[in-house]
Amino acid sequence: MKNFIIPELGENITTATVVKVLVAVGDSVQPDQPVLELETDKATIEVPSDFSGKVSEIKINDGDTVTIGQVILTFEEAGTQPAESPALAAKPQAAVVETQPQPQPTPDVQAPVAVGITGFVLPELGENIRSATVIKVLVEVGNTVQKDQPVIEVETDKATIEVPSDLAGTVTEVLVKEGDTITTGSIVFKISGSEATTVAAPVTSAAPAEVVQLSAPADEKPVTFVPEKSAPADAPKVIPIENQPAMLQNAAPAAPSVRRLAREIGVDVNQVKGTGPGGRILLDDVKAYSKALHQQRNEVQHIRTEQHQEPLPDFTKFGETERQTMSNIRFKTADHLSYAWHTIPHVTQFDKADITALEEFRKSYAKEAEKQGVKLTVTAVLVKIIAAALKKFPQFNASVDMQSKEVIYKKYFNIGIAVDTEFGLIVPVIKNADQMNVIEISREMNALAEKARNKKASIADMQGGCFTITNLGGIGGTFFTPIINAPEVAILGVSRGNIEPVYIDGKFEPRLLLPLSLSYDHRIIDGADGIRFLRWIIGAIENPMKFIVEN
Amino acid sequence: MNYSNNNTASSGNGNAIHVVVIGGGPGGYAAAFYAADLGMQVTLVDLEKNPGGVCLYRGCIPSKALLHVAKLVNEAKEAKEWGVDFGEPQIDIDKLRNFKNKVVNKLTGGLGILSKQRKINFVQGRAKFISSTTIEVAKADGTTEQIAFDKAIVATGSVIATIPSLQIDSQRLLNSTTALDLPAIPKSLLVVGGGYIGLELGSVYAALGSKVSVVEFLDRILPGADRDLVSHLEKRISKSFDKIMLQSKVVEIKEVTEGLLVKIENKDKQIEEHVFDYVLMSIGRKPKTDGLGLENTRVQVNERGWIIADKSLKTNDENIYAIGDIVGEPMLAHKASHEGRVAVDSIAGKKVAFEPLAIPAVVFTDPEIAWAGITETQAAAQGIRFETAKFPWAASGRATTLDRSDGLTKLIIDPDTERILGVGLCGPGAGEMIAEGVLAIEMGATVKDLALTIHPHPTLSETVMEAAELFYGHSSHIYKPVKH
Repeated sequence: MKNFIIPELGENITTATVVKVLVAVGDSVQPDQPVLELETDKATIEVPSDFSGKVSEIKINDGDTVTIGQVILTFEEAGTQPAESPALAAKPQAAVVETQPQPQPTPDVQAPVAVGITGFVLPELGENIRSATVIKVLVEVGNTVQKDQPVIEVETDKATIEVPSDLAGTVTEVLVKEGDTITTGSIVFKISGSEATTVAAPVTSAAPAEVVQLSAPADEKPVTFVPEKSAPADAPKVIPIENQPAMLQNAAPAAPSVRRLAREIGVDVNQVKGTGPGGRILLDDVKAYSKALHQQRNEVQHIRTEQHQEPLPDFTKFGETERQTMSNIRFKTADHLSYAWHTIPHVTQFDKADITALEEFRKSYAKEAEKQGVKLTVTAVLVKIIAAALKKFPQFNASVDMQSKEVIYKKYFNIGIAVDTEFGLIVPVIKNADQMNVIEISREMNALAEKARNKKASIADMQGGCFTITNLGGIGGTFFTPIINAPEVAILGVSRGNIEPVYIDGKFEPRLLLPLSLSYDHRIIDGADGIRFLRWIIGAIENPMKFIVEN
Repeated sequence: MNYSNNNTASSGNGNAIHVVVIGGGPGGYAAAFYAADLGMQVTLVDLEKNPGGVCLYRGCIPSKALLHVAKLVNEAKEAKEWGVDFGEPQIDIDKLRNFKNKVVNKLTGGLGILSKQRKINFVQGRAKFISSTTIEVAKADGTTEQIAFDKAIVATGSVIATIPSLQIDSQRLLNSTTALDLPAIPKSLLVVGGGYIGLELGSVYAALGSKVSVVEFLDRILPGADRDLVSHLEKRISKSFDKIMLQSKVVEIKEVTEGLLVKIENKDKQIEEHVFDYVLMSIGRKPKTDGLGLENTRVQVNERGWIIADKSLKTNDENIYAIGDIVGEPMLAHKASHEGRVAVDSIAGKKVAFEPLAIPAVVFTDPEIAWAGITETQAAAQGIRFETAKFPWAASGRATTLDRSDGLTKLIIDPDTERILGVGLCGPGAGEMIAEGVLAIEMGATVKDLALTIHPHPTLSETVMEAAELFYGHSSHIYKPVKH
């Protein structure tokens, strides 16, 4: 038995409405076969199955609202040969064909000359151009020709054109020479070799081959433009389009509604290959691309989550249990923290700061702060101090790029604060904390926390952090080992302040001490720097005058 | 957090985002209305009694009312040739001004009602940021009010640019605002600046009977438009205007008893002196951000005075968006409105961007000139490969019935994909026709699409289809075969 759950559909999408269930109980389903049509507030999406099997139960109906992660179908696992009753399969299969737009190349120009030996024919060069004069033949008998390699230069009454080959192989015979006038469709040379049996890729009239203007400077390399259409069986490939006019590099030929949808579902429309005339990008192109993207992403996620999953025992043997699907935030948190824990060698350094004086000031200033509409907190003070500390210790305001063997140093100072909400842990970010005073920081913290609680926080509010503070002091405890919020390189855990005896000038005095736990990324931060950083922060807390003078 | 005022604003929707829009022009009111339609709580601040901004009070709308009259005067004159003589027009300037004012009042009053219907808190006054979350409004009634917001949209527009050395204190020195008030019908009028504002207002006064001259610093009028589009206009105003002085500049203006004595350095670097009844300065518009209190926010302004905003129109300050003239060229009402809606969508949490492929420009002279997308001049300057298809209106039946063969329809085409990159038009009604071109560009239409779209006969819009057919060498009304 396998459960099919609603996968992630896009950023910020948590629920969707079922437009149509595309399978029935008893249907055999193949991987990638659409099983469900869903409508989110962004788009209507067909959800493909990730595995094969026979549908044994459908848990939802048309019109239901479903949440991401909800189980909607159960499957009996397929054997090696999924039994396919033709009568049952016919209907959903038809739906697949209809809803999966596949670019169908229309071979309308030439047929293969022979198996084994193929001829390269002069393709259509543009509307109303039937013939051209050969300026130069760029290949000789015996040459090996690659696909897309320019093979002949011709002149029409409009322009000089370099024609690329649509075949690969060895040239066996050249049938034209310089000065010849040849018509489109006539054979230019014959070719044999590994790929010679491939049918010459059709060149459609809407997409003429590379055209170079006469006035183009000689040293300007022609941009290769080859109309490439994927074979019908191919999944839509995620490749950048090349056939954009220079001025429209960032302006894909897509209707405004299509561009808007692409942006909303997180697709860069410039990456989508258009199947319409003139390379126009259709709504279906965007959807197909998005689907391909989701599939890729799902595969990656599967690898990540399944790699380390040990088989779970059957807990029901030991007592009653209840299975609950993780919320989106919980899953993301789990995934993100596993990643951070796996990749970052953590070291956690503990120390205590004497906040007796700070507390006294905080209490005496409380009224003043209230007048300005804020509550002054230790966290707000810490944000200010850490912003300054990051300036002093730039390796703490960095990220690691192991692939390029580089450390990225940030010149901005954004501090994230972990907030516990009823729907999970989120980390809103105080932007440019170094440019704010503590009152402004407090105000911003209040505003962000408020937004987070009202579910109004935007993605932008959570992005761009350099360093995270997590304060568990409100609950209790002394030290803990916080996990770094990758790709940041350090995190400061704050616990509850306690009055402790401190030996000062020959006698014990009751002082309020704040336990601090600093986790840092040992890949780029050495132990000595770790404690220096933490001592610097403690120094700033204990000697605010020194902090002010030096900053 | 502090003294929110919102008792006047929409009631019962305490949880809604509160958006403050500063400036009630076509950008600001479009944003405010859309935000209200999306269920946001909206405060709209403007100096005037009603929304409308420069566009409705002192720009697009009043000038078009007057240009409509100018067109009527000119056509009545031309009618003599067609066998109808209306005689010399008698112009009652007070009544004409009254007509224009009525148009303005009707439209701005209408916006006021639309604003009330949407329960928008309209505050008449001048707004200033005191932080990234609060503005202070110096209200028209003399009081001040602090208003807290979740998000603000700055839509304060632009102001008339001036040349301080030429800015003398005289009733006879007009700008685009005072010229629209029709202080008199000058016997002679010098328009300084050959851009669209100067040419439109110059056309109005020429039709009313003034002898109009134009001084332009560059070597051509309407420098943004393609030459072939402008040439018909040049021909026509060379008859209706007195003089067009190109590559010339005004160096001094002095009030004398007969009017204004203007010293002009002509293209041969000689100083000419002329006396004009009135002078209209129309050298452009510029952004104005001082007094807005942007220093109390994280909003940044570039070296030319424009607010820096990203593609979603958000400034460097998370809470503040900016739209319209204040974020840069082209300073056009329709660009501002579109940006306003993008900003509101972004505030609503949608992933959007201001990403038009074409912003149409229209000059409401006679003939009108309109273009969208890339111009031929730009394409050539940027080394973009293109082909053009040009259909002269002399071959258009409809143009001939209007006795107006002075028009041109031009398509700028990508030769590889045959996609429409730009459209240029000149002729009566060009401003209405350009919308088809904008749609074609936005939809990624190809020449073939335009050629195969049935256009109604007999209309000027057919010229778009015929230009497209001409690209393939087979327009019905022009014989110009493509070589085979």
